Amino acid sequence: MSNQFDIDNVSKLASIELEETEKNKLSQDLSIILEHVQAISNLEFDISVDEVFIHPLEKQLNLQEDVVEEFLTHEEALSNAPESKDGKFIVPPSME
Amino acid sequence: MRIENKSIREINSLFQKKEIKPSELYKQVFENTAQSESVLHAHLKLFEEDNLNKVKLSDERYIKNKSLGLLDGIPIAIKDNINLKGYETTCSSKMLSNYISPYSATVINKLDEQQVLYTGKTNLDEFAMGSSTENSAYGLTRNPWNTECVPGGSSGGSAASVAARSSIAALGSDTGGSIRQPASFCGLVGFKPTYGTVSRFGLIAFASSLDQIGPITKYVDDTRIIYHSIRGFDPKDATSVSDKPVIIPSNKTAKVGVIKELMEEGVSEDAKNEVEKIIKLLKAQGIEVIEVSLPLIKLAISIYYLIAPAECSANLARFDGVRYGLRADGKTSYEMMERTRAQGFGSEVKRRILLGTYALSAGYFDAYYGKALLARKKMIDEFNQIFKQVDYLISPTTPTQAFKAGEKTSNPLEMYMSDLCTIPANLAGLPSISIPTGLSKEKLPLGVQIISKALTDDSLLDFSEMIEKEVAFKEEPSDWIK
Repeated sequence: MSNQFDIDNVSKLASIELEETEKNKLSQDLSIILEHVQAISNLEFDISVDEVFIHPLEKQLNLQEDVVEEFLTHEEALSNAPESKDGKFIVPPSME
Repeated sequence: MRIENKSIREINSLFQKKEIKPSELYKQVFENTAQSESVLHAHLKLFEEDNLNKVKLSDERYIKNKSLGLLDGIPIAIKDNINLKGYETTCSSKMLSNYISPYSATVINKLDEQQVLYTGKTNLDEFAMGSSTENSAYGLTRNPWNTECVPGGSSGGSAASVAARSSIAALGSDTGGSIRQPASFCGLVGFKPTYGTVSRFGLIAFASSLDQIGPITKYVDDTRIIYHSIRGFDPKDATSVSDKPVIIPSNKTAKVGVIKELMEEGVSEDAKNEVEKIIKLLKAQGIEVIEVSLPLIKLAISIYYLIAPAECSANLARFDGVRYGLRADGKTSYEMMERTRAQGFGSEVKRRILLGTYALSAGYFDAYYGKALLARKKMIDEFNQIFKQVDYLISPTTPTQAFKAGEKTSNPLEMYMSDLCTIPANLAGLPSISIPTGLSKEKLPLGVQIISKALTDDSLLDFSEMIEKEVAFKEEPSDWIK
């Protein structure tokens, strides 16, 4: 596995605009980190990802019943919105 | 002994006997803060004025013998990634500089049952990503033992607050050592409970399969009191566990394993000597101590720096300028999001989001994130096997004593190495504690870490308390604090 880090592609996937100087520094840092973690990607295991639990105690997640409960009011849910109107979040248009 | 140096049980007893009032202790901790805060910067916000009525009510309850528990009237600081309704929760990020929590975390609701007095919100590495509290967007925190040094991180503000006696205890969060490492650097007890025993609801998520809330205190018993107050199944946290605690029989018959891989290269002589000191002490008590090997621990940092950034990249996707937090200008929604995230996140957070995004991206998932999951599973299996032989594992908490501010900021990998000893317990979800055991030649605190089987938290605390009594660590930060 190559450590070539396509910073433009990854920053686009992560939705983070980066300055040129930032790109250079982050590419350099991330290449060093990837080189360090490379040992993991070279390992072979006798198990598959399907056998792995996300919970470290190897438990199933306890999901709640699909029942409406009161938690935040509409106003509370919108209280931190940068912009809202008529009970809705306002965002810039999707296209110019 | 100064009141703020006493244990919670002792303070509560003085409250009960009416020898001192909660309001007097409250005043004292804020006097301490007034002396130290301008140098240490342990807190992002202090709540002195906000609690005056609450303190008065606590005084009255003790007068009427109607106190609400051991924590009634105890001043406790809260890490600023835990939601406290009506207050800012910034995570030390520009992204959330104006965010006011519309709800409280489950741990806060539980502490409210005893009317704990929240002294303030403490500084941290942005979104809990760091090991020195230097990654805060609001300035670094300094170590009360030596202000040229870092307090550790990411819960460095919480540790500095307790060490400087600005609070009796504090809550932190621990994803790869963020409670235990700063506790060790500041001469305190730091406890990461078994994953799932303390609700994460209301803790702003960094890496959900690793994050755990826990206390930072001066004494093991204080940790026990807080842990017992905040633990319990919570349906609001899908990873919460309802299993009963598991008890390890008596301390005297316990068998202890010294983790070979954490006593090798990369760990300072000072740190190793502290472990050797505790081994001698345990043997003198008639406890059997053997060397054990967990080979995959050598890969723990690599596993962690794939899994934690992967989870962080998903968790921090919510900060998009739409529902809360910072919003930058942009002609389109996408441009607004990209600029918001560029302006709102600091460089370490960006580094981890990008690393996680890469590890999860098409073509790389199997080789990085997938392999890390498998290696993590194998490491958990190793721990399970070892716990068939021994009851407790012991190691240094940190490879070195507290380092100087600025010493590791230019090299992320070197900074990551400071969590070498603490990360394995997060990966395996195990309870783990750091207790202070001595000072280095430079008069900086050193700690020892003890890990036990999942759900044996109570036994781990009992065992640690036995060591604490034997070690009798009585040192305090430098005189200028007093």
